[in-house]
Amino acid sequence: METYVIQRRGGWRTADELLAAVARSEAELEWAPDDLLWIRSYVLTETDGTLGTVCVYEATSPEAIRAHASRAGLPVDEIVKVTDTLVLRPDSVSTAP
Amino acid sequence: MALLERDEALAALTAALRDAVDGSGRIVFVSGEAGVGKTTLVRTFAERSDAQVRVVSGACEALFTPRPLGPVHDIAVEVGGPLRAALESSADRVTILASLLAELRATPTAAVLEDVHWADEATLDAIAYLGRRIDTAPCLLVVTFRDDELGPQHPLRLVLGELPSRVKARIRLDPLSEGAVEELAREAHRSPFGLHAATGGNPFFVTEVLAADGEDIPETVRDAVLARAGRLSEAGRRLLEAVAVVPGTTEFWLLERLAPQERPQLDECLASGMLTSMLGGVGFRHELARLAIESSLSPDRRVGLNQAAFRAIADPPSGEPDLAALAHHADAAGDAEAVLRFAPAAAERAAQFGAHREAAAQYARAVRFAGELSLDAQARLYEGVSYESYLTGDFADAIAASTDALERYRTLGDVLNEGDSLHALSRLLWSVGRTPEATVMAREAVELLESLSPGHELAMAYAQVAALSMSADDLEGVVSWSTRAGDLAERLGDREILASTRVSVGGAEYAAGVPGGREVLERELDLALSTGLEEVAARAFNLLVRAGMRRREYAVVDRYLDPGFEYCRERELGNFRQGLGAERARRFLDLGEWTAATDAADLVLSTARTAGMAPFVALTVLGQVRARRGDPDAWAPLDRALEMAEPSGELQRLALIAQARAEAAWLVRDRRRALDEARAVYPLTLEKQHPWFAGELALLQWKLGGLDSAPQWIAEPYALQIAGEWRGAADAWKARGCPYEAARALAEGDEKAQQEAYEAFLRLGAVPAAKEVGRSLRALGVSVPRGPRASTRENPAQLTARELEVLELVAEGLRNAEIADRLVLSRRTVDHHVSAILRKLDAGTRGEAVAAAGRAGLFKDR
Repeated sequence: METYVIQRRGGWRTADELLAAVARSEAELEWAPDDLLWIRSYVLTETDGTLGTVCVYEATSPEAIRAHASRAGLPVDEIVKVTDTLVLRPDSVSTAP
Repeated sequence: MALLERDEALAALTAALRDAVDGSGRIVFVSGEAGVGKTTLVRTFAERSDAQVRVVSGACEALFTPRPLGPVHDIAVEVGGPLRAALESSADRVTILASLLAELRATPTAAVLEDVHWADEATLDAIAYLGRRIDTAPCLLVVTFRDDELGPQHPLRLVLGELPSRVKARIRLDPLSEGAVEELAREAHRSPFGLHAATGGNPFFVTEVLAADGEDIPETVRDAVLARAGRLSEAGRRLLEAVAVVPGTTEFWLLERLAPQERPQLDECLASGMLTSMLGGVGFRHELARLAIESSLSPDRRVGLNQAAFRAIADPPSGEPDLAALAHHADAAGDAEAVLRFAPAAAERAAQFGAHREAAAQYARAVRFAGELSLDAQARLYEGVSYESYLTGDFADAIAASTDALERYRTLGDVLNEGDSLHALSRLLWSVGRTPEATVMAREAVELLESLSPGHELAMAYAQVAALSMSADDLEGVVSWSTRAGDLAERLGDREILASTRVSVGGAEYAAGVPGGREVLERELDLALSTGLEEVAARAFNLLVRAGMRRREYAVVDRYLDPGFEYCRERELGNFRQGLGAERARRFLDLGEWTAATDAADLVLSTARTAGMAPFVALTVLGQVRARRGDPDAWAPLDRALEMAEPSGELQRLALIAQARAEAAWLVRDRRRALDEARAVYPLTLEKQHPWFAGELALLQWKLGGLDSAPQWIAEPYALQIAGEWRGAADAWKARGCPYEAARALAEGDEKAQQEAYEAFLRLGAVPAAKEVGRSLRALGVSVPRGPRASTRENPAQLTARELEVLELVAEGLRNAEIADRLVLSRRTVDHHVSAILRKLDAGTRGEAVAAAGRAGLFKDR
């Protein structure tokens, strides 16, 4: 498994929409436990008021990320591979929905 | 002991069974680590299921070489009738599978196949066969497997991947939580302290620890099992040891003969819970326990028990002896003579059932004991390994075994067999892209065989040189060697070789663009189909599709791709099927259906084990899609593909990978690298005058400013584009159904054309190309909108893949709760999907949505 960062910019209009997407995402992850691991996500407020996310996943391939996104109806703007992680401090907030 | 934390899994199985009884058959896969409780779950489910549902089950055994169709045999014993008759009369595989299906259709059934990670190839085929047909049977097939034993190359993965998603669901069992382990400890009146940590929540381990009743917690499962066995009487332990040398069920008659004196101790072993009753016999409650006991046997005791098992199985109370079991026990007892007698026989039997992987393993087992045999007999066994490995696509094993056979014939001075082995080896080397070595061997074979009186072996060697000439795009060579082969075949009356040489000539001519070549190939295909020359037909399908793809004649490709794939699948022509599977991936790439392309490529790569043409082509697809999407990891597959192509020296491989690599470099704006990649192979495409390969490489160089003009004979769309006629080029690509190439041409046009290209790239998800056009448009002063997302752009109504899947079930008239069951989703998720579908299709009711989707052609793929 490799680590990837996935940008999903401006995908949702409201927090409820985003929460519904999280539920779909989790349901779909059940199906591909060997190919995909959701590590964490940062929720962004875009300049136009919509919500976006930057997600960190471990995955066997970029295709596994796209297949999951397509099944769950999540946008994918860009997938970038992570080569190293430097953690200076733990994330300040963690509110898993 | 209570079944804890399995309510959800039971509910999912129950829902699937309800669907099945209603006539929509299902396959549910239950997976989890060894000892997690898959069998317990399935047994509980079976006990609780409706009395009107018949439950049948079969299990795969942990044999190095399992009995072909083992679990189907188990089921046949339970149901009897035509299925049992088919198996007992050694009917062919198709008849057996058809009677199995008929049996499952006849009455509502839950069929359980356990431990499929150990399944033989024929059993996996049976699952695939049922999977494609189960949706119309009142049958729930429950398949259990250990997912921690399923490596990336495990053949079960292919079966899982190929099953239609409508019929399959997966339940993954996790180890028990700390709370559940505490509850079990309380029930057993034991301290839960440290128990969860030591056992990792593995239910089998927990049970063993609690049953061992010691002070300390044993460190491993094995220690726990041995501690528990230590509490039995001496005779009870000896009985346990006897049962431990027999994987799966030890039938009562076998037990009598293995442990006649200890037989009365059976009740003690059953009461202790270490053994359990099974159909017609007894067995360990869990394979982990059997392995623990077996591994504790002294060498003498193990050999003695295996000798006794061998003698007993060789003389069963009824029916024929089980050859695979005989070979297993002979091996375990170190009895060379018996292995050499029964392993090859078991191999033949396995091959007859299409279980070629097991057949190869049985021959390999015989080889290990063959040191005392004559060289000739040894060579025959190696040939067996080689041929069966070749059929399963294990080329590396096939080449090694074939080389071993060749050496022995050489030492013997057996010229005919030496020549024949050289020919076989040449074919194998060619299959993995080692073309130059293959050519040397084929010529050597011809030389040797020409020194004898001409026969079939020589005709085949000629045909092999002809086929190799085709790989080298040497049309003259193909024709002259085919003529020699054909003349000799005609004299010998060998239809197959004759047909095969004609296919070579037609294939070479079609690939080279000689008029009439394709028609020759098509005629030979029809002839081969009608006369049952399967390999010839499979090869003709492959040549038509591959040459059609490289010449971008998609009408030809579409005529032969799917029928060819089905033909090869039904006849287990694995290598030919893989070849077509890889071309199917490229077909999707050219069509602009990139997700389908990577899925198809993945399917090839997850099963191909060596450097053949199929994985090579699949890797080019994977790399190209990633590069075109701007996804990471594009170069890894392109580097591997290059490594595979280089030793071959073939245009077919070198040009394909060069264009993929040049394009990938261009898309990351690495101009120098793109030019280098294109220039390295361009001269070869000119020398062979391949209009499409030369065209693509010329275009890339031209775009990079590294080429002023190209020869006139390059393919039309490329010639137009290089001549500055971007509109004509785009139209030519559109006419062929190639949206990416069309957009690439439009990107060189005026502002309006560039906007069209931009839109098209966004639709395809071609991010880097879209960005490039976007930059150009902005330079023209055009404001570039952010387009809708690629993932929702694959259909006009912008439904996601999951929404489409839900919509199809809506179209079948299912309610949301039923859809939730079917797709193993929560009810809430399905509600959400359905309202999204209605909104996107602008429909007020479900009926309207289905009608709108029908009009928009959204159901076209099913």
